[in-house]
Amino acid sequence: MIPTEPERRSAFRAGQRAILQSLPGAATWGLVSGVAMVKGGLAVPWAIFMSLTVYAGSAQLAALPLIAAGMPLWVIVATGFITNLRFVIYSAALRPYFVQEPLPKRAALGFFMTDFTFTLFMRAAQEHWLPERHRDAWFAGVCSTNWITWQVSAITGIVAASYVPTDWGLEFTGTLALVALVGPALNARPALLGAVVSGVVALLAHGLPYRLGLFVAAIAGIAAATLTDAWSAPRTSERTEAAP
Amino acid sequence: MNAPIEGIALAIVIVGLALSTFVTRTSFLVAGARGRLHPRIETALRYAPVCTLIAIIVPDVLMHAQHADFSLLNPRLVGVLVSGAWLVFSRNIFGCLALGMAAYSLLRLAQ
Repeated sequence: MIPTEPERRSAFRAGQRAILQSLPGAATWGLVSGVAMVKGGLAVPWAIFMSLTVYAGSAQLAALPLIAAGMPLWVIVATGFITNLRFVIYSAALRPYFVQEPLPKRAALGFFMTDFTFTLFMRAAQEHWLPERHRDAWFAGVCSTNWITWQVSAITGIVAASYVPTDWGLEFTGTLALVALVGPALNARPALLGAVVSGVVALLAHGLPYRLGLFVAAIAGIAAATLTDAWSAPRTSERTEAAP
Repeated sequence: MNAPIEGIALAIVIVGLALSTFVTRTSFLVAGARGRLHPRIETALRYAPVCTLIAIIVPDVLMHAQHADFSLLNPRLVGVLVSGAWLVFSRNIFGCLALGMAAYSLLRLAQ
């Protein structure tokens, strides 16, 4: 995985150093997701399988209560998909930087990207300390280091949680972790209004079959947030056009 | 309440979730040189995760036997309120989890 050419290897190492500062955050989230998966009802091998393949904390945490409640499979997968939709924006933002790379490499760099690593990449690009050459090696260094940290801490959490008695109520950490994910995002009026609409509709529509209320609520919230955004900040579109 | 999902069904769910990660993260990177996101679509995609997570959290915390329990005797509600209050002042997730779990556990033990 580590490139052998000296120049590419030094770019890879620079990426590893750049992600170092966010590793405690990634490790904390990994640990919490691991504990929540097991206490949310998954057996240890399934939790490890989920961590290794899904590799998206928010989608995993969102899926847990639905798995425990025995929801239809498509409802769970669709919920994970909506939770992951933000990555479509990230993917579009990264495309200009990697457009000359071969397809398998673009796919790999995309799959191993997370909120942490994407944010770091865009900051490096905007502050002009992203290397001019071998950006793929740099980002591979960032993403692989983040991946290893996440997986080691998640599996640690999974194994540790399996020794904790169920009546400690640790499954509630999953809900609290979702609160911690959502909280900082509610810093502006559109998101706040979207959250209120989504929450109210989720309660009102709770009785709908197949947990359709979840989707009705999410769509109502997204509509409210998008309309508020368009109405309160006409500059949003200009900002988007200016992005690389 | 249905039984939790297990076995082959669980494997299908996990593979489906993994595919959802793969498809969203690689979407534009794999699509090549064509296509850009319309600004309005981008705005909607930006708010999708928050609204979906809220739609999961709110009934999970409030609904109890087909009724919404807004009382401060609801341990889950109190735990979430304490965590939320912590997040107003700090991004530290350890404090958020520790205080929320403490409030939730105290109220649960008291009942």
